Amino acid sequence: MEQLTSSLAPRATSQKSSVAASSQQGAGSVAKRLSSELMTLMMSSSPGISAFPRNESNLFEWIGTIEGPNETIYAGLNFKISISFPSNYPYVAPTIKFDTPCYHPNVDITSGAICLDILQDKWSAVYSVQTILLSLQSLLGEPNNASPLNPDAAALWATPDAFKAQLTKHYRPIQDTA
Amino acid sequence: MANDAFSAQVAAKWQEAFQRLNREAPGVSGLISFSQAWNLITEVLRPKDLRDPVEAQKRQQFSPADVRLALNVMVESRRLPPLLEIFIEGIRKSFPIITGEISLFMQEYENTHDPVTIQKLVFRVLHWYKGWSPPTELGQGVINAFTLSFQTHLFAALPPTFASAFKALCAATLTPAPLSTPSTPSTSTSTPQQAISAQSSIPNSPALWDAFSQLGFIDRYESIVASVGYECIEEHVQSTCKGRWDKPVIEELRAWMAGRVVPWMVVIYARGAASPEEARTMLQGVGSRFDFHINKTLCDLRTSEIFDIIIDFPDSMGALQDLKECLQRVDQRTSLVTSLRKANQKRLLHPGAATKLILSQYVSTIKCLRIVDPPGVLLYKVADPIRRYLRSRPDTIRAIVSNLVGPAAGGDDDDEEDEDPLVDENEPIVPLHQPDQEDLTDPNWDPEPVDAGPEFRTNKPSDIISTLVSIYDSKDLFVKELQVLLAQRLLSIKEDTNGFERVEKERRNIEILKIRFGEAALQVCEVMLKDMSDSKRIDSHIQAQHTSVVHPTIISRHFWPTLESSTITMPGQFQEMQERYAREFTVFKPDKKLKWLPHLGTVHLELHLEDRTVDADVPPLEAAFIELFSQKQTWSLDELIADVGGIDRSAALKALLTWVDLGVLKEDEENMFRLLEFEEDEGERIIRDPKNVPTAPDVPPPTTAQQQQAEQMRVYWNFIQGMLTNFGSLPIDRIQTMLKFAPGYDQRVDQLATFLEAARREGLVTSMDGVWRLNR
Repeated sequence: MEQLTSSLAPRATSQKSSVAASSQQGAGSVAKRLSSELMTLMMSSSPGISAFPRNESNLFEWIGTIEGPNETIYAGLNFKISISFPSNYPYVAPTIKFDTPCYHPNVDITSGAICLDILQDKWSAVYSVQTILLSLQSLLGEPNNASPLNPDAAALWATPDAFKAQLTKHYRPIQDTA
Repeated sequence: MANDAFSAQVAAKWQEAFQRLNREAPGVSGLISFSQAWNLITEVLRPKDLRDPVEAQKRQQFSPADVRLALNVMVESRRLPPLLEIFIEGIRKSFPIITGEISLFMQEYENTHDPVTIQKLVFRVLHWYKGWSPPTELGQGVINAFTLSFQTHLFAALPPTFASAFKALCAATLTPAPLSTPSTPSTSTSTPQQAISAQSSIPNSPALWDAFSQLGFIDRYESIVASVGYECIEEHVQSTCKGRWDKPVIEELRAWMAGRVVPWMVVIYARGAASPEEARTMLQGVGSRFDFHINKTLCDLRTSEIFDIIIDFPDSMGALQDLKECLQRVDQRTSLVTSLRKANQKRLLHPGAATKLILSQYVSTIKCLRIVDPPGVLLYKVADPIRRYLRSRPDTIRAIVSNLVGPAAGGDDDDEEDEDPLVDENEPIVPLHQPDQEDLTDPNWDPEPVDAGPEFRTNKPSDIISTLVSIYDSKDLFVKELQVLLAQRLLSIKEDTNGFERVEKERRNIEILKIRFGEAALQVCEVMLKDMSDSKRIDSHIQAQHTSVVHPTIISRHFWPTLESSTITMPGQFQEMQERYAREFTVFKPDKKLKWLPHLGTVHLELHLEDRTVDADVPPLEAAFIELFSQKQTWSLDELIADVGGIDRSAALKALLTWVDLGVLKEDEENMFRLLEFEEDEGERIIRDPKNVPTAPDVPPPTTAQQQQAEQMRVYWNFIQGMLTNFGSLPIDRIQTMLKFAPGYDQRVDQLATFLEAARREGLVTSMDGVWRLNR
């Protein structure tokens, strides 16, 4: 993987510089990448995570579903997220936020914004929707309490019963979005 | 009681009659002369019994002058109508004589079936007719009345069997000449004498036909006369043309007709012709009817033979040319189509016919019907059922593709080698014909033929391959099958044989196919071929580092058809060898890793047993087993399976039996195998010719196009699952449009509906108010 990323790095910079000039061409290759990611995601049977383009005409806006991992406090809960890919994806991370209110140390309860390193400074072009979704799923069970977006939740994490009460208070079950 | 007035009236009438008969002659002399004339003329007209010579002579005794005189008297006294009545009545009374004779003749004919009898009959009746016919002096009116009355009685007297007897007589005048048909076509002006000279059992004399004509037979039995001609033609066509398809026969038939039938026709239909020109004019109508009949007969014959003609193609070119020419004159296209479709249904499109056979017959059909009907309407109508049937066969694509690629080089595909390729090698290689729009600006545009159906598309003469590929809606299936086939071929190449040449051959094939299917479609095949040469290169590199007996073919998993994976582990030295090779490989290609498909390939083994050495080329499974026997002498089947892992019992048993056949193992009791370190007494063991031992590697079983289609459906299902997970529920239209994200999605909404319905039955989804959701 190291080798791959390093070989990609020079191209990534050149791509960035030319992205404005040839956004059309760029959009084509991004769409290609996104559809192949979709294919991979559909064919990999990772339990509990899923995502799909929001509508047939736009590959850049996806809707995702994450099931709370078993044996965590989120077990049995389903969370909807929205994923928005930038036009220079995968050189820039997609914007992801929770649509379902999620009481979690690293998630903003009102905006749904997520604090996850791989979505910010640690982003790399080798990541894919699938890896993001898997990271998010594991983030639910193992929050990074060191840099909380929701300090209350971070504070409550140590007391599962209180945390669970807050969680269920904020949680709204998923409505059909079709 | 008569009163005066009545008496006066009678007297007046009598006076009037007397006046008329006496013709103002003095006294009763007029009456006397009338009486004499009446006697004379009734005697002349009285139908005589011609059997009596005296009676028969009588007719000649009257002098024509007397008769004319008497006739004048009759005319003057206006007694002609009663005279005629008496005459006709006389005929009626005397006719039983003729009837009697006719029945005698007919009886004789019934016994002998000799048309000469009928000829005699005809002449005899003509004799009577002439004997009784009134003298010409009586005028045409009387003669006509006589002819009508005579014929009426005659036809009444003829028994029903006469029609067939008459036909026999006509046919006898046209019996085949003993010599073969004249080679030089004579013209229709050949004289009646020629016809007579043609030997027949009854000379086809004009006299006979005159007799027919006078007795009114020609008018009455016209259709019989014609049918004799027609039957003669049919018989000739049947006997000479049946099964002769190599060259056109229609001209030959016309020549035969001119030399054989036309002279006969001249006698019948151009009897009175004064000059050849006149005869020609008289024959024109009937002649073209007969020519038409030749065409029709030949056409019918060829129509009934069409299936075999197609089988014989291209040796049946002549027949096809004939058929083409005939169809232009005769409207038999529908019956041709019906007949061929029927024959196909009966002889071709059934489970007993091999797909290859059907395909080659289909190709021949295409070629043949193009000759007969260049616009292709017939072909379209005939081909449709064949194409539909082929589509329903699972191995059609495979058969087409293997034909495209040609026989595999090397000896392991014996059954393929001696088969005719469907495709003519001389046919230029052209890109696949795409069903295109009609060219509206084409200056050579022709309207579609009248019998073209609404769904008929004028397909410009496209090549055979395009036509075959167009059996299916998309060529993708072919490309996939092609990959499978190529994989099979490449993997069966053995190192020791002329492997390189075979790869080159496959490469050449692919290059040719690229022209047809397009560069892009065959990219995968290109990769596969490259893998082959890369493998060789890598292998030689690794061999250079560390010599190994393992020579793997390294394939790029993504570009090859899914190969059946296997979980067998090679025991002992094999595994060691594999691992060593893999280590070298990793050194050479650090970013790649070898994943073995240990069940493919062949192993050349030399077994050193106590008393002998056994040399064998075997599949890896066999090798694995025999390796295990080097650990201990006796193994049970279950132990062996457990040690190798991931194989089913039948495969394992088969592998063990290979060794049993080779005399290396022995099955002592059921499923217990023992290594024979010392060769055992042959006993009941059947020694096989070493060549027959199934050492040939099993053909690696890549998944077929059909399985791949199932795979495709699985992909679509994953997509559907994915979208339903995220959207909760969706109407079918949305699902259909969203599925365009799935690569290669080509199903229609109704197909999707069927699929969803099937999924619903499986309990995977539920449907309510037109929206679908996952069943959780």
